[in-house]
Amino acid sequence: MLEKEIIDDMQAVFLMVNLVIPTVLLGVPAVTIGFAKRDAWISALLATAAGIFIGRLISSIIEKFPGKTIFEVMEELLGRLFGKIAGALFAWWILHTCSGIAREYGEFLEVAIMPDTPLIIFSVAAIIVSAYAVKSGFEVMARFNILFVLVIILFLLISALSYANARFDRMLPMFETRPQDVLKGALVPLAWMGEIVVFSVFSPALKANCSIRKINDVSVLLIGAFFLVGIMGVLLVFGAEHASAMMYPVYNQVRIISLANFLERLDYLIFMSWAIGGIIKIGIFYFALVIGISWLFGISDYRPIVFPVGIVIASLSMFIHEGVGDELRFLMGTFPFYSIIIFEVGIPLLLWLASIIKGRGHGA
Amino acid sequence: MRGSDIKKNHDKLPQNRLKTGVAYMESLEGKLLDENIEKNIKCLKTIFEKCSDIIFREFVFAQNEQIKLALIYTDGLADKGQVSDQIMRALALEVPMAVPGRVITKAQALEFIKERGLCIHQIKETNKVGEVVNAILSGDTVLLVDGHDTAIINGARGWEARAITDPEAEPTVRGPRESFVESLRVNTSLLRRKIKNPNLKIESFQVGRLSTTDVAIAYLEGVANPAIIKEVKTRIERIKIDAILETGYIEELIEDEPWSPFPTVNHTEKPDRVAAMLLEGRIAIFVDGTPFVLTVPSLMVEFLHASEDYYERFIFTSAVRIVRYLAAFASLVLPSLYIAIVSYHHELLPTALLLSVAAQREKVPYPAFFEVFLMELVFEVLREAGIRLPRPIGQAISIVGALVLGDSAVRAGFVAEATIIVVAFTGISSFTFHYSASISFRLLRFFLMILSGTLGIFGLTIGISAICIHLCGLRSFGVPYLSPVVPTAYSDLKDVVIRAPWWAMVANPRSIPGHNKKRESFGMKPMPPENGE
Repeated sequence: MLEKEIIDDMQAVFLMVNLVIPTVLLGVPAVTIGFAKRDAWISALLATAAGIFIGRLISSIIEKFPGKTIFEVMEELLGRLFGKIAGALFAWWILHTCSGIAREYGEFLEVAIMPDTPLIIFSVAAIIVSAYAVKSGFEVMARFNILFVLVIILFLLISALSYANARFDRMLPMFETRPQDVLKGALVPLAWMGEIVVFSVFSPALKANCSIRKINDVSVLLIGAFFLVGIMGVLLVFGAEHASAMMYPVYNQVRIISLANFLERLDYLIFMSWAIGGIIKIGIFYFALVIGISWLFGISDYRPIVFPVGIVIASLSMFIHEGVGDELRFLMGTFPFYSIIIFEVGIPLLLWLASIIKGRGHGA
Repeated sequence: MRGSDIKKNHDKLPQNRLKTGVAYMESLEGKLLDENIEKNIKCLKTIFEKCSDIIFREFVFAQNEQIKLALIYTDGLADKGQVSDQIMRALALEVPMAVPGRVITKAQALEFIKERGLCIHQIKETNKVGEVVNAILSGDTVLLVDGHDTAIINGARGWEARAITDPEAEPTVRGPRESFVESLRVNTSLLRRKIKNPNLKIESFQVGRLSTTDVAIAYLEGVANPAIIKEVKTRIERIKIDAILETGYIEELIEDEPWSPFPTVNHTEKPDRVAAMLLEGRIAIFVDGTPFVLTVPSLMVEFLHASEDYYERFIFTSAVRIVRYLAAFASLVLPSLYIAIVSYHHELLPTALLLSVAAQREKVPYPAFFEVFLMELVFEVLREAGIRLPRPIGQAISIVGALVLGDSAVRAGFVAEATIIVVAFTGISSFTFHYSASISFRLLRFFLMILSGTLGIFGLTIGISAICIHLCGLRSFGVPYLSPVVPTAYSDLKDVVIRAPWWAMVANPRSIPGHNKKRESFGMKPMPPENGE
């Protein structure tokens, strides 16, 4: 399905990073800080450590089956019937998450910039551009993503600027929060980091001799670092009390930057990078979904189903949540357990056990 | 005569007359010359019926008046001096002086003429009528000898050509001032003078079923990638078209992505630029009759670089390049950004500026989108008029266009001053880089303006993303268009936005797959002796 599409290690790492961070930076810091207060940075570290575990779990399965997508691995390990069932479930999760992202994408843009524009415009626009990227192929998406990495560097620079507003005593006293709250705070970002499991759909596109384990490790560490930078910035600028009451604290943190009567309203950069980052994130999920569906129904070329699938994602994104409150409750309450237990750890663990029991893998 | 009548009469024409096109040239293939000179002349005269510029000159051989000779050439394409002095004079007068007393028989005549009679540096023999016709039309002079079925083709070409002048489309301050002309041979000689190496190969083709235009591809063997050379050849040989009048025909027939707004084939009129391209492993395509030479494969960054970048010192060049990139970006997005800010995102402007812009816009009747769109159209009209109109009227256009239109439009209250500034700056920015890339930027500017007029900065962002995705997917002869940025070739990045000094650019660009990895030795950094020795 991905014949002749080969991406290099760096492109893979940054695809994984951008598969996670656009949304993680947007909504998650507020939740983590809500649970872990000023010890949220510990939650970030914990989530990263657990994320590395998930990454290694996935790589230990995928590396045994070079040149196969996770769907094909399921069929190989669980048999035709159960493989297809697991694959269908996994594809559903990707569809569900993708629609959720499209919804979140539109919601942020509506709240932040254009309150009068209907939500569906944003989601549909993003899905159209993503569809173009998906149709152009995986290599194109990887290259486009590298261009966007420049925007991430921009983000780091902006974050550095906001340290002019930072007060380090807001971090004190440390280690005050109860351990169980710190763990709770780690759970939400972990669910987001676990989204790297989606990338196992694209493993055939990786270079033959690269180490998937290393790619996963580096990606998770980078994601963790970005998340930590985001959390620290928010904590230092607003303090735990204010930050946890905000919906998009990182956005607000950039919004209040004002230097030399000249560097102001930098939130537009965040807004633009979110617009592009969201396209990439939706695009990767979209791509994985298209590949999953064509595997499910045995379609040899994924291109004809790109637009129909896009229509499904767009319409599902419209009625998936009733409103922002409903969406938040789902993302913060249900989504972590739903994702981590079933799809990010559950299914990979099942596959891992199956591969141990069957005691084999191709070429391993 | 009405159109239908023309068609009716056309249908009545005899079939053999209708064949006088592609099929006619093809029908000559395989036809051979006769031993009888009269028959040959008659045959050629039939072929060149009603071609008043073909000259038939019949005369007799000075050594033996029994032997009839005939010269056939195209008036204006053959060098008249050479034809009269070195061919006619030699054969009709001077041959007896060379070999006094000896009588040449008919059977010996051809060999003798070839060896002793002609004072022409380049001759060729043929017995095919098709080749003779082709040679005459290409400017060669054909000599027919009675009693032989072989014609001698004399390479005595010489026609009026434009002199080598300054490059008009790519002017430079520092660097070679010569530019290509319309003659293919002159052009290849200009290139050969830059690269004196037998590995510079120039292969010829003839393209065009009616025009039989000379096309040549040039490359450096051992530097250019053989696979790409082969691909270029196959794509050129594939072309079946009546005529090639400019390299643009070939460009459109060989490019990778015909529907893309971006050019995937570069063109230039500067020999030094072509030489630089070949040295990096590219392939040049020359076409007779045009000063523009194509180079492939081409990358996006090429269009933002000028040949002068490599002649000026690197610090200055790097700074200029950064400015050029910014200008290119401005020429793409500035009007859309202005529309978005003025219509949707006023908060992005500092208060003082916002007040001034608001005051200007108060009297303007149209929404910003419409206003900018209109002014951009006006600018495009002015630009087009500036190219098309006869030189002497040029002044008038610039005065009417720039002063009267711009100034009066503002004073009449049709447009805001800020709009004029934005449109003017955008227009000027688009002239800072390669012309064919700036055309695509101008087109996409309108696409972005529509998006930002409807969705503000979000629309602009979406539009830029779509353009970037499109660029990421483009290829030129198998080479990704955006390389070396993506896919990233780190060693090439020193010649993208900045230019590293020559002593630091040891490796040839890796993004063009070639064979010559290094273009200079290590340690070329100048090291003047210390203590002022």
